[in-house]
Amino acid sequence: MILYALRILRDQPFRLGFTVGGIALCIVLILFLAAVYRGVREGSIDYIRANEADLWVLQGSATNILRGSSILLQAHGGVLENVEGVETVAPVFFLLSSVTIGERSSTVYLTGFESRTGLGGPPRLAGGRIAAGEGEIVLDRSFARKFGLVLEDTVRIRNQTLRVVGLSEGTNMFVIQYAFVTLEQARNLAGYPGLVTCFLVRLKDPADRERVRADIREDFEDLEVFTHDEFLANNIREMESGFLPLLLVLALLGAVVLTIILSLILSMNILERRNDFAVLKALGSPRRTLRVIVMAQAFILGWAGSLAGFVAIGPLAGVVETLAPEVSTRIEMTMLGATFGSTGLMNLLSGWIALRRIRSVYPLEVFR
Amino acid sequence: MSAPRNNPIVLALERVSKTYSSDGQRVPAVADVSLEIKRGEFVLLLGPSGSGKTTILTLLAGFLQPTSGTVRLLGKSTAEMHPDDLQRERARSMGFVFQNFLLLDALTVLENVVIVQEFCGTARTEARANARRLLNRLGVGHLASRFPPSLSHGERQRVAIARALANDAGIILADEPTASLESSQAREIAEILGRLVTEEGRCMVVASHDLRLCHHAQKIIHLRDGHVERIEKKA
Repeated sequence: MILYALRILRDQPFRLGFTVGGIALCIVLILFLAAVYRGVREGSIDYIRANEADLWVLQGSATNILRGSSILLQAHGGVLENVEGVETVAPVFFLLSSVTIGERSSTVYLTGFESRTGLGGPPRLAGGRIAAGEGEIVLDRSFARKFGLVLEDTVRIRNQTLRVVGLSEGTNMFVIQYAFVTLEQARNLAGYPGLVTCFLVRLKDPADRERVRADIREDFEDLEVFTHDEFLANNIREMESGFLPLLLVLALLGAVVLTIILSLILSMNILERRNDFAVLKALGSPRRTLRVIVMAQAFILGWAGSLAGFVAIGPLAGVVETLAPEVSTRIEMTMLGATFGSTGLMNLLSGWIALRRIRSVYPLEVFR
Repeated sequence: MSAPRNNPIVLALERVSKTYSSDGQRVPAVADVSLEIKRGEFVLLLGPSGSGKTTILTLLAGFLQPTSGTVRLLGKSTAEMHPDDLQRERARSMGFVFQNFLLLDALTVLENVVIVQEFCGTARTEARANARRLLNRLGVGHLASRFPPSLSHGERQRVAIARALANDAGIILADEPTASLESSQAREIAEILGRLVTEEGRCMVVASHDLRLCHHAQKIIHLRDGHVERIEKKA
């Protein structure tokens, strides 16, 4: 029966190519949206995930750094250092800032950190070094690529010229990218030398985090203290409550379109081979046999399209990232496996829809 | 052969009528027909177009249910059989030969004969060997790997007969099996059908207006306007 299904498909090479191509496009769309989802999600939280702080201390009611505001006094840091069990306290200052590159301008998530501790700095460097002094900046790699910037180029922020000394990775949030300067530089640019956004705290013994947190809360009732995992979870939750679910909805629509295309093609095949199906019924074919023919076609078409989509997605993602560097994609094996499995479900559903056509084929038709 | 073993009557129509509705009009296709068809019998349903030949054939196959009366296949009323059981019985006990051959063009000659055996659960190797044997017997073994559209009409009808015999069916129902063939081919096909009865004891029911088949038939049922006009029995 599978042989028969294959032959039916082979007899219409143009339609076969068209169908596999259409399914491949749907798969590419689904995978691309999933890859962007993963890329944006991971890019947005890589900074937090890679951070080695045991505790994050923010202003009361602030839960994340993506869409929350927190303003603390630098003086808090001194007190935090005196809490028993605290090893290091590193202030970090975040600022949405406009950057001028030649005649163009854009916005970055400017991050001021102490290069002394490294806490709060870029998670990974793709080139150069971290900003260690006045007038230095580290840009996200995709941001730099978008504006054609390389090491030693200069950008301007609030009439100050900053030299690009490093390029970072894991700092692309799609809608905005991180940029790193020294803490002093960031505060000077903002015009608030005595303020910070949060403190990153490293403990002598990470196992003490609950006790230290309780001590900080006791001393500062107006501060929020999160463990690394809590803070990461907060930011993931915040990210996923934004536009990211829209990408999944679009991917779902792609799956629906794929299912519709496949079921239409299968239905068309049944109608064109109506006489064959009537003959098979007249000759005593069990229902199972007819189902196998239709399902085999569904799976052959669906999985051939999937494989074509898998082959195409890599180069396509590369092209998109070249044209729009801020569109960060991340394709993972689990994603391919899940898509392949989901395609199986779509094949099954399409086949099931098309099978309804078989019911209206009567063996009596062969006697006309 | 999976024909009935004890009861010699394999197919029966008991006061069967079939009426179609067309544009609100009731059109009788078969009216009050009673027939008994025995194992090893060649029955020819003879009559002009519209006489009810094909309707009787489809009633016998269980594709149609009568408006009144009973159709019995191997002693069982087709109306009382579960559709799946009827389909299983059809695959096992009945072979079909059609006017336009109705081979599956996407399959080779051999595969056309193999596929019906799969309906009965025959193992692939056994089905292929059986198909080759049947095709050789019908003189088309050398065409096994060809596709039906590349065959002559006569060759296609031989393949169709091989397919009808593939499950060793005891009952062969043929609808105008010689109508699409030129004279010499029609004569050969009629001979083959006749031999299936005389040499192998199969039951053959043929709906046709081809008088050449009369020579092979033991019972000729003359039909006109859905009625049995007369039954001609030969020794």
